[in-house]
Amino acid sequence: MTPWPPLLALLIVVPLTGAVITPVVGRTRAVRSANWSLGVMLATSVIALVLVVQVARVGPFSYVVGGWVAPYGIELRFDEFGAVIAVICLLGTLAIVFSRRYAARAMAEQRIPYYYALLLLNLTGMIGFAVTGDLFNLFVFMEILSLSGYALVAVSGEKIAEMAAFKYLIMGAISSLVILLAIGILYALTGSLNMADVTERLGGAPAAPLAVAFGALTLGFMVKAAAFPLHIWLPDAHAIAPSPVSAILSGLVVKVGIIGMLRVYQIAYGSGAVDMTALNTVLMWLGALSIVMGAFFAVFQDDIKMMLAYSTISNIGYIIMGLGLASSYGMIGASVHVFNHAIIKATLFLGAGALIFQTGKRTLTDLAGVGHAMPWTVAAISVGAISIVGIPPTAGFVCKWYIALGAVQAGHPFFAFALVFGALFIFIYYIRMVNAFYFRQPRDPAILEVTEAPASMLVPVLILASLCLIMGVMGSVPLSFIEPAVQRLLLPLGGG
Amino acid sequence: MEVVDARAALAPAISLVCAALVFASADNTFWRRFFSIAAALAKLVIVMSMLPGSLRGVVYTFKLVEFTEGVGLAFRADALGMFFSVVSSTLWLITTIYAIGYMEREPNRRRFFGFFALCVSTTVGVAFAENLLTMFLFYESLTICTYPLVIHDETPEAMKAGRKYLIYTLTGGAFVLLGSIVTYQLAGTMTLSQPGILPLEAGRTTLTMLFVALIAGFGVKAAIMPLHGWLPSAMVAPTPVSALLHAVAVVKVGAFGILRTIYNIFGVALLRELGVCTWLAALAAFTILAASVVAIFQDNLKRRLAFSTISQLSYIVLGAALLTPLAATAAIVHIANQAFAKITMFFVAGSIQRTTGKTTVHELAGIGFRMPYTMAAFTVAALSFIGVPLFAGFVTKWYLSLGALEAGEWWYALVMLASALLNAAYWLPVVYTAFFKTEPTAEVEVHEAHWTMLGPTLVCAVFVIILGATVSVPGMPFALASAAVKFVFGM
Repeated sequence: MTPWPPLLALLIVVPLTGAVITPVVGRTRAVRSANWSLGVMLATSVIALVLVVQVARVGPFSYVVGGWVAPYGIELRFDEFGAVIAVICLLGTLAIVFSRRYAARAMAEQRIPYYYALLLLNLTGMIGFAVTGDLFNLFVFMEILSLSGYALVAVSGEKIAEMAAFKYLIMGAISSLVILLAIGILYALTGSLNMADVTERLGGAPAAPLAVAFGALTLGFMVKAAAFPLHIWLPDAHAIAPSPVSAILSGLVVKVGIIGMLRVYQIAYGSGAVDMTALNTVLMWLGALSIVMGAFFAVFQDDIKMMLAYSTISNIGYIIMGLGLASSYGMIGASVHVFNHAIIKATLFLGAGALIFQTGKRTLTDLAGVGHAMPWTVAAISVGAISIVGIPPTAGFVCKWYIALGAVQAGHPFFAFALVFGALFIFIYYIRMVNAFYFRQPRDPAILEVTEAPASMLVPVLILASLCLIMGVMGSVPLSFIEPAVQRLLLPLGGG
Repeated sequence: MEVVDARAALAPAISLVCAALVFASADNTFWRRFFSIAAALAKLVIVMSMLPGSLRGVVYTFKLVEFTEGVGLAFRADALGMFFSVVSSTLWLITTIYAIGYMEREPNRRRFFGFFALCVSTTVGVAFAENLLTMFLFYESLTICTYPLVIHDETPEAMKAGRKYLIYTLTGGAFVLLGSIVTYQLAGTMTLSQPGILPLEAGRTTLTMLFVALIAGFGVKAAIMPLHGWLPSAMVAPTPVSALLHAVAVVKVGAFGILRTIYNIFGVALLRELGVCTWLAALAAFTILAASVVAIFQDNLKRRLAFSTISQLSYIVLGAALLTPLAATAAIVHIANQAFAKITMFFVAGSIQRTTGKTTVHELAGIGFRMPYTMAAFTVAALSFIGVPLFAGFVTKWYLSLGALEAGEWWYALVMLASALLNAAYWLPVVYTAFFKTEPTAEVEVHEAHWTMLGPTLVCAVFVIILGATVSVPGMPFALASAAVKFVFGM
């Protein structure tokens, strides 16, 4: 029944080797590195697809690297939450296609092969993070993706980009240290780094170090996820990075914090040794705060990428709130929003990237009236905007609906209130954006002469925009896919 | 009897297609007019084709898409929905013709007529929504589609009014969404096809809060005081838009939402048990009287119309809140009665403004001789609002008073009486000024508005009389209202 077991290992080995070889391939001609990394990502996508189909059919499975059995060797474990690799591969592939023209203009030619190498490394880190079953391994992959992330923000080489990357690096490094500390404590308590093993052995461990460990894990992952007020690194980093990188960072990299939290929950609920009630309350409030504050800051932005960056904070807020509610509806909504938000935000960032690439302008004021010049791109952005606000029949709706139901189900209708009014705020600034693109008089009539983006940019944006609609209309598919994992997770709580 | 029929979904969809074509027709005046009229006409034909069946008791349903279990877009043309959509689609055709005449020289006509056609689609979407979510979706779309119409002049005043409009209505919409979520959680469904879906076991406090959330949400558009602030300032919009906002679409979807909340979400029995409707009725009665008093002091004709609208809308709310079959009949038929009379008045105000440039009541001396047909139509509408028998408004007042007595709350019959006097106090002076303030002189020439504006005005005035005189004729909309009431009260 199981496919060739090492497939799970190949999922990491293929992009990792591919990344290392990229600079060599692109040594003479930069465009070769683009083709090569696209090939690598396509191969990885095929593997990912086989694995996701597998997990949907038979449930979670593992692979023991090198034949060393669990407590000693490294275990790769693939469950429904790990299916996020599907969207990682999808966005990775599309970002690479999008970069073809974009990178040629945004950076010096000798940097291009390294850019693709870093992009592949970043994706490898995320894939590894999603499928590992070992705590230290989790940390290593997290560092791979964080380090490559810092470099990617700075890849254009401009002064302001270096500053943003440095800020990102400081916050990222601190959070990594905090997480490492927590992993150290867990190792000291249980003598194991394997997650399943740790879960089994945690019972009866003293309360104080446990509280420190889980508190530290949550704190670290919340920084990675950019929950308010730990978000300060995000807006600059995401707005200044090249647009395909912004799509990856905003759509995927912040989700590392969320997947990390899901793993924390698996250990905490599985072992039954940790009382998560207090932490859950913190998460709910953090979520509500992030939704409202992210939206509040976004309303005042004029730079479209800055707006989108703040909108990521709001959306992460939705996910965190869904997790903190610890009810089945909330958890399912949050997990699916990890997928859906990635698609929606990538639509928006790549769309914005195409606008900036064609017009050379990036503020709403300057981009007024661009909808007449670049109808397809702006239409795709509008679909993304409708989607992220959560209007049916788009991808954003199902998740937010479930999270709101989760709030009522968990007996916290106030949070449903916060969610709905947060969505109202978000609605307002996306209306501003769409309004400017279509209805405001252009400030500079030259903008009407701009042509539509090249196919290598337009096609990824349109694919993503149609996915926003498809995931909305077929909203029940991801929901029922993730449901068994959530039920399993909440089983110790009495089924949720 | 329920029948699966795509027409229930086609009615909103066809106007959507026409709206897209209006946008696509660029600056070609002929095609823009063609598709604008086509949008209104196609919808009217589809709705009317369902009318015979609906009068026989057939309910047309159509499920478009389901996102997750029990949550999706679905349409259902029941008696109440049919009543609302017959009224709105008839008026839409008339208003579109009027708008074409009125907007003759305005800039940005493509945007105007495109969104105008979109509004047709969303209003009928609200009327035919099978569940709260579908209703919410169209309810919010209507807000968005009317915004470009409100700010059409793009003056600072219009922009400010537009912002106010958005803030009020979007906040209201958020309450509706919140209410939908809680409803789904409590009842496990959001369908509007039952006479009440919520169980009393959900708890009195929860149910009361839910009721407040939904009524406050819909009440913004229905302009129940103190949620009415957006309505008078939105008067800066071009007159056909004001007519549309205040007679047919925006305010009526609010009132319609309240009817759905009371009859299909909570149900009459549950609300009697909860007792919350006493408060709603009192609030509605207050709005009826207070808005009328304010209206007396307005000199600007459109502002006077605005406060009159606020007052009239609360007739519907009061009728619904009394929870008796006769009052419910009054509430439902008043959707039509108020719509036709109010739109007549708006058409008149617009015609006067376009032909003479006059906007205030005291300037209207002698206008009855310059524009006799227009002012005759106005008089018909005024008599209807006062509640003179044979005019539409009388039917509402009669049934509403009977309903109040049936509920044992006779003081609301007195409110009706007081409201009739107040209506006389602010409409009759207009008629008096127009016809009797100055002597007819030979110099005054008859100078009516263009036929595209005069025609719709007269047609609406005729409808006011028809609605008032043909209550007992079978096949008229009144029969639909009775059918809806029978379903709701389980008779």
